[in-house]
Amino acid sequence: MSRLNNLSNRFAQPIQLRENWSATISDYVIDLAWSPDGRYIAAASVLGPVTIFEGRRRTVIDAFRGHEFGTMSIAWRPDSKVLASAGQDGKIRLWDMTSGRATHSLDGGAAWVEHLAWSGGKKPILASAAGRKLKLWNAVGDLVREYPDHQSTISGFQWKPRVGQLASIAYGGVTLWDPQQSEAIRRLEWQGSSLVIAWSPDGKYIATGDQDSTVHFWIMSTGDDLQMSGYPTKVRELSWDATSRYLATGGGQEVVMWDCSGRGPANTDPIMLSGHQDFLSVVRFQHRGKLLASGGADGRVYVWQLRGSTRSLAVHEVALTAGVTSLVWSPNDQHIAVGDESGGVSVFSIS
Amino acid sequence: MNAMLNNQVPVTVLTGFLGSGKTTLLNRILTENHGKRIAVIENEFGEVGVDNDLVIGAEEEIFEMNNGCICCTVRGDLIRILGNLMKRRDKFDYIMVETTGLADPGPVAQTLFMDAEMTEKLQLDSVTTVVDAKHIWQHIDDSDEAREQIAFADVILLNKIDLVTEKELNQLEARIRGMNGAAKIYRTKDAVVEMDKILNVGGFDLDRAMEVDPQFMEPEYPFEWAGLYNLSAGTHELVLQEGPDPTMKVALAPVNESTDEALKAAVEPVVMVFSDDEHELSAGGALQPGGQLIELNLTADELRFDVQIDRSGAYALFTEHHPDEFQAQLFGSGALVKPVVDREFKPDHEHDDEVTSVGITTPGDLHPDRLNDWIGNLLQTKGLDIFRMKGILSIKGQPNRFVFQGVHMLFDGRPDRPWGGEPRYNSLIFIGRNLDRTELTEGFEACLA
Repeated sequence: MSRLNNLSNRFAQPIQLRENWSATISDYVIDLAWSPDGRYIAAASVLGPVTIFEGRRRTVIDAFRGHEFGTMSIAWRPDSKVLASAGQDGKIRLWDMTSGRATHSLDGGAAWVEHLAWSGGKKPILASAAGRKLKLWNAVGDLVREYPDHQSTISGFQWKPRVGQLASIAYGGVTLWDPQQSEAIRRLEWQGSSLVIAWSPDGKYIATGDQDSTVHFWIMSTGDDLQMSGYPTKVRELSWDATSRYLATGGGQEVVMWDCSGRGPANTDPIMLSGHQDFLSVVRFQHRGKLLASGGADGRVYVWQLRGSTRSLAVHEVALTAGVTSLVWSPNDQHIAVGDESGGVSVFSIS
Repeated sequence: MNAMLNNQVPVTVLTGFLGSGKTTLLNRILTENHGKRIAVIENEFGEVGVDNDLVIGAEEEIFEMNNGCICCTVRGDLIRILGNLMKRRDKFDYIMVETTGLADPGPVAQTLFMDAEMTEKLQLDSVTTVVDAKHIWQHIDDSDEAREQIAFADVILLNKIDLVTEKELNQLEARIRGMNGAAKIYRTKDAVVEMDKILNVGGFDLDRAMEVDPQFMEPEYPFEWAGLYNLSAGTHELVLQEGPDPTMKVALAPVNESTDEALKAAVEPVVMVFSDDEHELSAGGALQPGGQLIELNLTADELRFDVQIDRSGAYALFTEHHPDEFQAQLFGSGALVKPVVDREFKPDHEHDDEVTSVGITTPGDLHPDRLNDWIGNLLQTKGLDIFRMKGILSIKGQPNRFVFQGVHMLFDGRPDRPWGGEPRYNSLIFIGRNLDRTELTEGFEACLA
């Protein structure tokens, strides 16, 4: 990868990040989720408890016990009335925001339930991954489907935007699932270990970040793949911009951005965004806008603005006291919530 | 740097065949009052909290990478579990990873070296292998896993010693020592061992390894055993049973008196005898004392050899293999003659063990560039065969000792404490398959500044 751009802080900073509030939960923030209606931020501690904050101020609305031995993942039902959580007790729980109680405790199928994701649409489906077991649940916790075991532990999955298909990753490749079907509908095989998956919003690409310090692009129309190597470490950070043109990736100190316009990213040089002093832990584009936020083990958060086709610059940076572990944009793209290694939760506004 | 080191959580990889006593040892570690918070990653076990400790069940998942490199083969389940454990602020003081009985320890150890997240936060403290002293013989010859578990070990517990004789133990220890010259070996019953022999032993601490094991640097001998007999004039009979080898070289030397000193004095001359051409002797033939190397042919049905003694006195019998392997016994006038004194030697042929260790100790400073080139090239070309390597190095211009350890091609090195007034030296050991001692020694010595 060549170094095309290193433009951090070279230009005036037209946008500022302003801290709205910050709070602390019991330990390392393992997951953060902003409710789709914008009202709540749920923060899960690696120890188990899940704290529900009001999005606009640091008021604690509720505190859920979460999971014994630790919570792994949280996800809001699209109507924002239920938070699903998964953890190391093998359970998936549905927390009702009205009563503040867990209305369901579902069996994930293995000791650790690591991943959760709601599909969109009027009848949302919750996907859960525990070990090799992929299960689908309806909005009220009824089991919809239990798929045959994956060949290896499921390391992540994502619903295809707007279409009810799910792509899961495990050692050995990507598998596509349709909730209407009892078997996998497609497999994209690769002998390696993918850590994170990101489906481009237009559905044309599935990108994976991999243990062997590479990024894969799967071209969905042909099933071909491109492998991007040269990353300093394993890639756990991926994010597509809303137009499906840019894929931002981590795997080192610099944000590496691939341009998928035209003939795609093959044989192109990515845009490199320098600034972080330690490995990145999260990169995340706005839901609709062009701003990219990145967080790193150096405890810094940068917001980058894309200008034209290749020019990007950091518009602002803030420093936390501990390494960033998670970062989410508010549904209206005006705020970011950041979680850190020592349990700090901070919310910033873009102004 | 030091602050970082202190943050690293030590990890013990616990290996051993099914029934060797791994679980007994684990339970002992968990129940012993050592004041440490321990996380145990076990196979096929539900997650439970035990007081302050945590036991996590893991399903062994071997990840081989696309390039097919064995050194990139890791345990996927461990990456996830260790990654999660490292997120807790209230870190565990210690992590133990138990492997399945048939596991190759390579992928487990490699997992700890594989990426920045792992090397920053975790430190391989030791590979500890529990060996069932009675039943290991069934595996040591035909199981790659058993040999690899021994070869990878920093600490070996010879367990269940109550089920075997002292002699069998000595033999076993010699055999293991031949494969892995650096491991600390403890003999245990019911896996009873002091915790500080198992926890925080620091894979880097070669100083200690050398201290407890002088035999490590001892020269190798072409024979495994010598026994001193008082023999009266006449014909005696050496009787053997079928054993692991079709032949065995022996030499019978007259010595001055029947003492340990006399036996020791005979060692060097007999080493010379063993470098001569051998004279083959078939069953029924006669063995005479003197400066001849005799190769007994052990393929007949009846393995009896006459031993002709012209003059009564003390005689030392040196044997290529341990006589117990062939149940070799000496008879005089129909009665069993036992050795007055006997001694075992570290063999240099290691049976047919291709797994050996090569230790190099030499004073002087190393040229950093030459060292880098040599190690780089070595790991690239021989990394598959080198299971473990570790050592202390004296790098020219560096006030601190440099310590390193590696698993296959993966290498982790760092500055250690200052040399201070200590004499500077280099000490390293390679454990692996088909290692070429001369090549390794010469290659290393060429790196001296």
